[in-house]
Amino acid sequence: MVINKKIKRTMLESKSQYFGSLALIVISCLLFTMFNLLSDNLGNITSSFGKNYVQEDANFIVNKKISNITEIEAKFNMKIEEGSTFDYSLSKDKVIRLFSENTKVNLPAMIKGKTLSGDNILIDPAYAKANKLKIGDSFKVYDKNFTISGFMSLPSYIYPLKAAVDILTDPNNFGIAVITKADLSALKRGNSFYSIRFNGDRSNIESKAAQFKDYLKGEDISIQSWTSASANSRITFVTTKLNGINQVSSSMPVAILLLTCILTGIVMWRMIKREAVIIGTLYAFGYKKKQIQNHYLRYPLIIALIGGIIGTILGALALKPMINVMVAYFNMPVGIVHFNIKYLVISILLPVIFLSAAGYLVVNRALKSSPLEIMRGGKENNKVGFIEKNLKLDKLKFSTKFKIREQLRSIPRSVFLLLGVVLATVLLLFGFAAKSSLDSLMKEGFEQAFKYNYSYVFNSIQQGSPVGGEAFSETTFTLKSDNKINIVAYGVSPSSEYVTFKDKAGKNLSTDKIIITSSLADKLKVSKGDTVKVINTLDSKSYNITIDSIAKSYVGNYIYIPMPKFNNMMNYPIDSYMGLWSMSKLNIPENKLLATVTKDDIKNAFNSMTAPIQTMVGTMAFISFLIGLIVIYVVTSMIIDENKENISLMKVLGYRKKEVYSMILNSSAFLVILGYILGVPILIALLGNMFKSLTMEMSIALPITISYSYLIIGFVIIYVTYEVSKALSKKKVNKISMTEVLKSRLE
Amino acid sequence: MGWVRRIDNIDKIDNVQIRSGGGKYMFIKVENLKKSYKTGEVSTQVLKGVGLILDKGEIGVILGPSGSGKSTLLNIIGGIDRCDSGLVSVENIIVTKLSDNKLTDYRRDKIGFIFQFYNLIPNLTVGENIEVVSNISKSPLHIDEVLDAVGMLDKKYRFPKELSGGEQQRVSIARAVVKNPKLLLCDEPTGALDFITSREILKLLQKINKDFGTTILMITHNTAISAMANRVYKFAVAKL
Repeated sequence: MVINKKIKRTMLESKSQYFGSLALIVISCLLFTMFNLLSDNLGNITSSFGKNYVQEDANFIVNKKISNITEIEAKFNMKIEEGSTFDYSLSKDKVIRLFSENTKVNLPAMIKGKTLSGDNILIDPAYAKANKLKIGDSFKVYDKNFTISGFMSLPSYIYPLKAAVDILTDPNNFGIAVITKADLSALKRGNSFYSIRFNGDRSNIESKAAQFKDYLKGEDISIQSWTSASANSRITFVTTKLNGINQVSSSMPVAILLLTCILTGIVMWRMIKREAVIIGTLYAFGYKKKQIQNHYLRYPLIIALIGGIIGTILGALALKPMINVMVAYFNMPVGIVHFNIKYLVISILLPVIFLSAAGYLVVNRALKSSPLEIMRGGKENNKVGFIEKNLKLDKLKFSTKFKIREQLRSIPRSVFLLLGVVLATVLLLFGFAAKSSLDSLMKEGFEQAFKYNYSYVFNSIQQGSPVGGEAFSETTFTLKSDNKINIVAYGVSPSSEYVTFKDKAGKNLSTDKIIITSSLADKLKVSKGDTVKVINTLDSKSYNITIDSIAKSYVGNYIYIPMPKFNNMMNYPIDSYMGLWSMSKLNIPENKLLATVTKDDIKNAFNSMTAPIQTMVGTMAFISFLIGLIVIYVVTSMIIDENKENISLMKVLGYRKKEVYSMILNSSAFLVILGYILGVPILIALLGNMFKSLTMEMSIALPITISYSYLIIGFVIIYVTYEVSKALSKKKVNKISMTEVLKSRLE
Repeated sequence: MGWVRRIDNIDKIDNVQIRSGGGKYMFIKVENLKKSYKTGEVSTQVLKGVGLILDKGEIGVILGPSGSGKSTLLNIIGGIDRCDSGLVSVENIIVTKLSDNKLTDYRRDKIGFIFQFYNLIPNLTVGENIEVVSNISKSPLHIDEVLDAVGMLDKKYRFPKELSGGEQQRVSIARAVVKNPKLLLCDEPTGALDFITSREILKLLQKINKDFGTTILMITHNTAISAMANRVYKFAVAKL
């Protein structure tokens, strides 16, 4: 059809509106493709890594060596391998955890370099990068010199946490390494532990593990620690992160696409109104409704297709760098990046479907009227909107009245602006709130509750009075009704100096009662006096723990039990303990220790964890600035377009430039501020739900907080965006000539 | 119609014919005004040395067919367009020499405009449309007083959509008058109206001229309107 020749010309006449739609589609398809492909690839990498490198189902420490491994493997249809590990301190803060090379379970996956041979060492790449270690460098452990022959990943340390209960990794100060079994035993250090993986049907791992634990008990082998893969953050955290990515990839692009639909709807509606005479004339010439419909549907289709293709290509291009960013967190071999055609097709089709639907609704509605009605501007041309009619603005200043009327003139346009600002606010504050929440978690969760500087965990149960520090014990449980929820129970001194809790009202809680952290209480929905039914991971026995009080603490699925009660419950000797907390360093032989954690470790981990968050905050701020700028600029352009004659009239009437800017360009200020104010609670609600589902399987609860300073910074950024779009629009206002008003026709 | 001055002589300056009234305080003086427009390679001279005078408190009418340059002349006098050469003086202000900012002040303080198609702001009520001007005026008249004068006080809260063409033009007149301008420039004020409504609008303009002493310069292609004028200028078709 010859009328299709005008598509390009029409689009170029209203560049800002069409390019605005295009840019929003590009952003949304880019995010959709990138996040979905990322999640797909990380999912594949994780599962194939676990399978190909025989990821453990559990690891455990026992009080004596298991000698009949072949017999057990046959009996339980499993692989079992004894390994050895110890922590080597390179400096006050820097620790590397050495493992002996396994051949059956948790095989090290080579990422770069050569496989292991004598006198060589394999190191995790994040630690190597953070500490500037290269292949071929020498690495000294005690007196022995190793050569770094390569970088590797361990399936049991995908997320290399120092302590199992940590939430943050710190590649600067903690890493893992693998040396040959012979080299490790030559160093004459290391604690023995076992890793197991069941063969065959993998649907009922927990009950198989329980049978195996019963067997060990029957053999008079006592389990001192047991960590299931499903409860091991070093393994499961990547799944949590994938869930997070899936939430973002499903919600954010759709939100942006919906915004684009509103924009396209408005643009189409305005175009049809503007071209009413043309449409009426075409009708009069005998064009069919379908032909006219086809013509006008080409506009959203073209925009959706171009935007969809560009966005999808950019998203696919961004995949590899994003995987590299994720691999800096999660130590896994990447292999070949896979582009799932399903997501590429959906990414291109989604905007086509969304925008065509929006365009069809608008075009169809407009073309329902008769040609004459269309030419006259539709049926309702002479009706004044209900709100406009009934709004009493008499007492307001003229400029305020003008601005309010301007927003009411096109409700969809105002809704688009409002939603756009809300979306930009949510994106912008997302990063800020994440940072702010982690800050307060650190402050309230760690610094206020835990007063010790050193935490030592022995590799066997100790008895008697400790030489220094305060004794504690720990054991792990899973919830009876949901074995995915892990609970750590601490036995603590009834008058502990090192753990201090307050309840919600701010009252100090005494450790001579059973205390549960509020993060766990919220998760289990329990209150004071309730009983929690749990199963111990060491002996698979059931226990009932009755809660005396709830501590306001968002870190850890922890229950604190007075030591005598703890030992009695667990059937341990009355004066036994497993670890020590102290303010100063204690002189404990290394071969007696399973792990040492200092408060500085936590702080360092926190700092290195929040460093990438700064980048995330910056990226989010940039995306939100971009979306905000597009939305506000497009709306401002629409306002200018709609007010061309009014602007011209104002100039004729003697309005000065600044006065025109103020009346026309400032008319959206109220909606921008309202959008920001609405964005804050929406963000808190969204983030609250998101964190809740993400931390469901983690040992923390992240209460959403956002500091006032971040709120102010956020507002400044949004407002600056508005000012930038205003500055860009000033040119357009200046361009409108005074003679425009003389050309205008009847209202 | 006793208040209409007799038109007694006709002068001709280039393509403009002038009927000049007797000697009063000269309010508008236009001398040898030239203006051409360029469209691509083609230059069209619209005004070829036009002259015009109007005394204070008079009604002047410029007659002429479409494309003769009458609107261009009105726009230059009103300070919304610039000439190539010549002189326009309004109340001793040399309009042709004013900077852009001074021209804005000139329009703001001295001139009231009335357009053929009213140019009311559609999403503002009648009262608010008048406020558009009173908002930036130094000493505006009271809005209700002006609305009463044009017979639209009872429709103060209506929107332009809800008014007839004649009513919209009344609002447009009220908007022009509210700042009590020295000069009212009317571009085909009855061009879009039927005969009876046109007559009412013209009566209203005469009333304003009488009540407020406003000098009025009006362009039209309706020769019947010239009867109400003190001076009538006729444009012939511009020679290219």
